[in-house]
Amino acid sequence: MQRLHLIEKLRVPLMLAPSLLILTLLFVGGLVVGLGQSLGYMPVIGLNNFTLRHYVDVLTDNNFLQSLWVTFRIAFFSTLFSTVLAVAFALILRETFVGSQLSTFMFQVPLPIPHLVAANGIVLLVTQSGLIARLLATVGLLNSPSDFPVLVFDRAGIAIILTYLWKEVPFIGLVVLAVLKSVGPEFEELARTLGAGRWQRFWFVLMPLILPGIVSTSIIVFAFIFASYEIPLLLGVRFPTTLPVWAFNNYRDPDLNLRPEAMAVSIILTVISIILLVAYRRLARYAVTA
Amino acid sequence: MTTVTLQHLTRRFGNVAAVNALSLEIQSGEMVAFLGPSGCGKTTTLRMIVGLLLPSGGDILFDGKSMLTVPTEKRGAVMVFQKHLLFPTLTIAQNVGFGLRMRGLPQNEIAARVTEMLELVHLPGFENRRAHELSGGQQQRVALARGLIIRPRVLLLDEPLANLDANLRLEMRELIRSIQQELKITSIFVTHDQEEAVMLADRVALMFDGVLQQFDAPRVFYERPLNAAIARFYRSENFLSGIKRGSQVETALGTLRVTSSDAQPDGPVLLTVRPEDVAIGAGPDNNRITAKVTAVVYMGTHTQLQLNVDGRAWRAEGPADFTAQPGDTLSVHLPDKRIWLLPTES
Repeated sequence: MQRLHLIEKLRVPLMLAPSLLILTLLFVGGLVVGLGQSLGYMPVIGLNNFTLRHYVDVLTDNNFLQSLWVTFRIAFFSTLFSTVLAVAFALILRETFVGSQLSTFMFQVPLPIPHLVAANGIVLLVTQSGLIARLLATVGLLNSPSDFPVLVFDRAGIAIILTYLWKEVPFIGLVVLAVLKSVGPEFEELARTLGAGRWQRFWFVLMPLILPGIVSTSIIVFAFIFASYEIPLLLGVRFPTTLPVWAFNNYRDPDLNLRPEAMAVSIILTVISIILLVAYRRLARYAVTA
Repeated sequence: MTTVTLQHLTRRFGNVAAVNALSLEIQSGEMVAFLGPSGCGKTTTLRMIVGLLLPSGGDILFDGKSMLTVPTEKRGAVMVFQKHLLFPTLTIAQNVGFGLRMRGLPQNEIAARVTEMLELVHLPGFENRRAHELSGGQQQRVALARGLIIRPRVLLLDEPLANLDANLRLEMRELIRSIQQELKITSIFVTHDQEEAVMLADRVALMFDGVLQQFDAPRVFYERPLNAAIARFYRSENFLSGIKRGSQVETALGTLRVTSSDAQPDGPVLLTVRPEDVAIGAGPDNNRITAKVTAVVYMGTHTQLQLNVDGRAWRAEGPADFTAQPGDTLSVHLPDKRIWLLPTES
């Protein structure tokens, strides 16, 4: 009887064990190996002593703060604009109008398309030889396509942000749309009868209800953008580069001695990311309960 | 203190008229119940009054002024919904003070009025609690306080007691009635429960299929319904066809004398008597008909009899100790003052 009870208690953990094991090996294992390498422990190339030297090298590098700022700025503005646009689209798409189903479908189209394909699409659209520049020149709004502003490989990272917007707006938008649909119109109707105008209903009624959805999705988006390298590598300037590109370049360098520095950058990136996300979550929780 | 006037108010959904040419006037400080079965248009009417739904035709007037172009948030009509809809992220005080906050009142004034309102709904000291910490009845009282705090011109209650259990419903009815009488706010509430309408309302507007059937004091629906459908809705199905001539009605079971002879013109009529007015057993010799007992149900305080009267199913109530068997034939007395005449059904 006692044995049966024990088996019953262990049933769920045992069922979860295979996937937990894989997750632990891949994530925690990778993190531990990365941490070890960032601390200078890499026996395969003869580094057997733990040291903070690589962290000191990275943190005292003149380019570090610049790269950190570029990384943060791209992640912050991409997340901010994505969130604002996603909420706006969700507010429109929750209404029933002629073509609303088609509009919702079109809104979801970017979701399964890979980031690299999206980046290529943006390049084709917004470079000086791109579709928009040529179109504007053809209709006479520009003297020549080369008058079109530089949006790709620019220091502001506009093409990078545009690519992330195209990909992340539907992601956040669909979550917010689902929340809005589950909330229904009753709270807003009630607020109207209590004298709340359009903006008051948005800020005091809808926002607190959709904020948890916004917070969780924007955390995912920020963390993803903050740590991803492929779009800044494809569409960004060579200098200053983002921290993930810095880490990636060092990682794939044939000189294995650069590997510990790549790992140090990655670990720093992870720690900063965690600190920012915890701070953001706390702020959001305060905003919900205030 | 606001008078609400509905003039030929109509709302169509496609080809279906959910509310059809509804006209009535609600006096200042009056409590009116919109009563009727589900889908009869009562909530649609309420939503038009508050401005959440545009009418297809007709007008809504507050103190003689049309409200059609006035947005919901400026009408001064507050709606308490069937679901309490307390904002989950706010405390009870913040919920109650929501309307005042939207009006930009200072915090100290909001706090003072919230305290006053929570006392009015018998929830003093609940300011810092959250909605999930309250029972269903308490949540509905908070919703009521939230509506009342802005001192609305018109209070609209959409089946506010529907989600409460029987005891709480009774308690809330008394609370709503006492507050309404104290504050004298023109109030309209929607219900499908006749008992609730009778207990709470000064007047009842009974609706079937989007059409107003009768707008009267609750007592009138029991004693002088305008047609058989209304009588049925008030659980009176005792009907007998006859021909009215003056103060007498000739039926297949004999001639019956009626007092309310001016209710219908001479000619074919439908006679009705409420089950509790059918006198079983001894009594006056006049106005007697023969009925066959089909079922006897002991109800504790009385005995309910199901009768067959000229092929129609009747109900009657006798004393608790009344004994009869299905198949018995009874002679029942129909008091002439309790007989009401209706038009025949088409």
